[in-house]
Amino acid sequence: MKLQPPSYADRFLKWFCRDELIEDLQGDLHELFADRISEQSAWVTRIQYFWWVIRSIRHDVIKNPLGNMRNVHMLRNNLKIASRIIWKNKLNSFLLVAGITLGLTCFLLMGFYVRQEATYDQFHSKKDRIYRVWLKEDYGGDQIFFNSSTPLIFESFLEDNFPEVERAIQFNNIRVNVGEGENRYNERVSVISKDFFDVLDFNLLSAENNEPLPDRNSIILSAEYAKKYFGAENPLGKSLPLELAGENRLFTITAVFDDIPVNSSIQMDMAISSENDNVIYSERQRKAWFNVSPETYVLFHEGTDLEEVNAKSQDIILSVLQDEVQRDEYNIGFQPITDIHLNTEIPPALAPVGNPSYVFVLSIIGLLVLIIAIINYATLSLGHSFVRRREIGIRKVIGARKGGIIWQYLTESWLIAALGTAISIVLTYISLPLFNELIGVDITLEFQWWHLLLYLGIVCIVGISAGIYPAIVLSREQVTNILGGHGGQKKAHHLRKGMVTFQFIVTVFLVTSTLLMQRQLNFLNSKNLGFTYESTLSIQLNQDPNTLRFTEAMASARDKGKILKSQLQQYPEILASGVGSHSFGTGNWGRVSYTDQNDIFHRFRINAIDPGYLETFDIKMQEGRSFIPDNLADEKTSIILNQAAVEHFGLTDPIGKRLPGSDFGDHKIVGVTEDFNYSSLHSQIEPLILIQDYDAIYQGIHDHDYDDSPVPKLVVKYRTENLSEIYNLIEKEWKATFPNEELRLSFTDENIQAQYDDEQKMNRLVRFATLLSILVASFGLLGMTILLINSKIKEISIRKVIGASELTLFALLARSFAPQLIIGIVLSVPLTLLFMNKWLENFAYQIQISPFIFILGAIISSLIALLVISYHTLRAARINPVESMRRE
Amino acid sequence: MAREQIGELEELVLLAVGSLLDNAYAVTVLQTIVENTDRRLDVTSIHSVLRRLERKGLVNSEMGGATAVRGGRRKKYFSLTRAGRNVLDDTMAVRARLYNQLPKLTFALPKL
Repeated sequence: MKLQPPSYADRFLKWFCRDELIEDLQGDLHELFADRISEQSAWVTRIQYFWWVIRSIRHDVIKNPLGNMRNVHMLRNNLKIASRIIWKNKLNSFLLVAGITLGLTCFLLMGFYVRQEATYDQFHSKKDRIYRVWLKEDYGGDQIFFNSSTPLIFESFLEDNFPEVERAIQFNNIRVNVGEGENRYNERVSVISKDFFDVLDFNLLSAENNEPLPDRNSIILSAEYAKKYFGAENPLGKSLPLELAGENRLFTITAVFDDIPVNSSIQMDMAISSENDNVIYSERQRKAWFNVSPETYVLFHEGTDLEEVNAKSQDIILSVLQDEVQRDEYNIGFQPITDIHLNTEIPPALAPVGNPSYVFVLSIIGLLVLIIAIINYATLSLGHSFVRRREIGIRKVIGARKGGIIWQYLTESWLIAALGTAISIVLTYISLPLFNELIGVDITLEFQWWHLLLYLGIVCIVGISAGIYPAIVLSREQVTNILGGHGGQKKAHHLRKGMVTFQFIVTVFLVTSTLLMQRQLNFLNSKNLGFTYESTLSIQLNQDPNTLRFTEAMASARDKGKILKSQLQQYPEILASGVGSHSFGTGNWGRVSYTDQNDIFHRFRINAIDPGYLETFDIKMQEGRSFIPDNLADEKTSIILNQAAVEHFGLTDPIGKRLPGSDFGDHKIVGVTEDFNYSSLHSQIEPLILIQDYDAIYQGIHDHDYDDSPVPKLVVKYRTENLSEIYNLIEKEWKATFPNEELRLSFTDENIQAQYDDEQKMNRLVRFATLLSILVASFGLLGMTILLINSKIKEISIRKVIGASELTLFALLARSFAPQLIIGIVLSVPLTLLFMNKWLENFAYQIQISPFIFILGAIISSLIALLVISYHTLRAARINPVESMRRE
Repeated sequence: MAREQIGELEELVLLAVGSLLDNAYAVTVLQTIVENTDRRLDVTSIHSVLRRLERKGLVNSEMGGATAVRGGRRKKYFSLTRAGRNVLDDTMAVRARLYNQLPKLTFALPKL
């Protein structure tokens, strides 16, 4: 008798076993336990007992997982009643579902966009150990050179001198002519280290011997490019001619890789091995510590402490570069690969960098619109509850508990949330391509199983947050209050008004912001830039591949430009043409710097142009003269400054003077142009020096930095009549002059527009959100109006009988929303100011935020609100009093 | 008539319930089978089979008295139903018929 079966086993049995079975089951087990324990040791029997309990778990023994049967029945009943109520109030339900659907669609689309931005480079399995190297040279004062492109020598330097570095790889892009004959394209070809794929996870579809790039004559293609060049054929083992450093070489395709995902910082279509570096770069470039070009990525050993590496990196650098730099002048740092896309503090290299504040703002907006939708639900069902008070009263009288009523209301909101979610998922997937095109983003969406969980979570959260407040308020009321006919939960009333006000705040804020953004963008497009770019285009010239020196290469392309220019000049459609290293809108112009004899550091931008260039863009001279055509002396020695450069060098009466500095060759300032915005309006006009030949000032310059390629372009001003005619004409001349080269032509106005792509995209996203939020809020307002009218229908009738005009009645009803609207408009002002000032900080040239915008926003929002409430209000005002008074 | 198909363990349990008359509950059924067949079984399998037989309508059950050794839990006694008896009779008849058709001296000679 002393030895009892283990109680934990009994508890466990009781937990899972159905109540009606446990009686004999446990009894039998106890009996057997008592039987066995006399034959064998106690602990063996105890284990055996537990084993029996475990073995008793059969499908027909386990309790219903949904809890006891009563709950299941209640749930079923709740569902049934909820669906009946939804079905009965079709208009109300439609407004609820539509609100949730739109809010959620906006939230999902924004969410997927934000997710894509936030998950850049997360797919690399070793992402925690992969870092991009940056280089910051700091020689005091303004002389800071901060780059995330790095010297070529870094790959071996990092591998040899840092024991923590497991691998170092480099990635660079060059432009190369690929293919032959008709199929010759100027392509962006990546140059990658041999062990590139050991560090980064890009999927190789097929590779021979698991070695994607066995030698310097191999090339790998993305699936898309394999198709482009070889169609459906198997590209492996085929060859492709590349013009590398003036030599046409056959490269063999050794592997094909999956198209790089959108959310990868490293993008490439075709890649060759960095073993080709010795023909791509000069000996000097390969050994240089101060020439930056490729991105370098390192893979650290597991367990590496980055702090330690950073702490000793100065010592390692000094041991290698002992004579050349002082301590802390030459700094190397490491940036996690996943940090590249949204970190704007480190200058971009090849990988484009997104705007983290946009991502933040868009996620907030997505959330706001969803909150509007949820609030909509809450206000509407609270309002609607006054209609349903009797139902609740009766339920309570019959014996429903508070919990039961809460559950019933939640079931209803869940059902609506589920419906809305289902529709919005379908809507999201269907509208995604349209959304991408409309907004100009590139969201890819692949269904994954965890999405299901996400959607379920959304249904739960939206259902609870929308339904819980009305549920609690309604369940709390006293039966006598409800059925006794005393109206009035003042508190709920206030809260409802508060929620409506919040909706107004967000809506007015979005409307005003959209207006402001649009105005700023219009301003950018219409601002006088100091030059005319309408009906101009630029044609990229190709340098002679056999030239190695920079100035020679530039000169070779310029000479080609001259030939083409003389061909084109014979056409009357071509009004003017010129050659220049940089055109407009394609990136920052070349930036050079030097230190003069007084140890003053100068940094300015340059553009090598010919006399026709200024004429083509109609750039005005402020002082002096322009370049003289076909004058060799002028070409070699004349330079032109812009106004900002004159101020920078502090020159009074600059004509005929030289730049300060002793290393320059023979040169003199012949003219000064008016300031013109050669960079985008994000930045102020910087000092600029225009030259004809790089030789004029090249000797005196120490550092160069090119964002836009300095290889000359032919710029052309044409008569706007028929664009395709102009294009055909240029194409014909191009083919006749350079039969083996691809024509790359772009229109200046498009390029200038493209500088504000980011802002345009942002504007479109906000406009989209605004539209949706207006819609959602309108649904809410519409529902509220209907409810208001229903509750006041008798009042309206009586007033009408006494003699109120329709207009008076309309004003009476419309006035009930006025306070909320006004408060909403007022409160949205600081929010808009805060957000828009932040946004405008992106630009050096901004519009003034005028009160006019706020007034306009307020008027638009009020008009929309008025429009929404007018239909039902007017209908109510027209109602025949007999109709509504008769019923009681 | 389509006869209820029962498995071998079900058949054994049914036989045991029938032969134990009014003392048939899971523990005694288990003991009977273990004694007669030398099988290694535990009581949970018997429970499972008994529940199945009851669902099929081959046995009836009623709750009996509790004893201290059972932790105050009552027993559930089983008895054969008419249908249960019929199924047993049929099964036995089929076996007997087939067995009688067996030639007296049939067994496979080992191949050499």
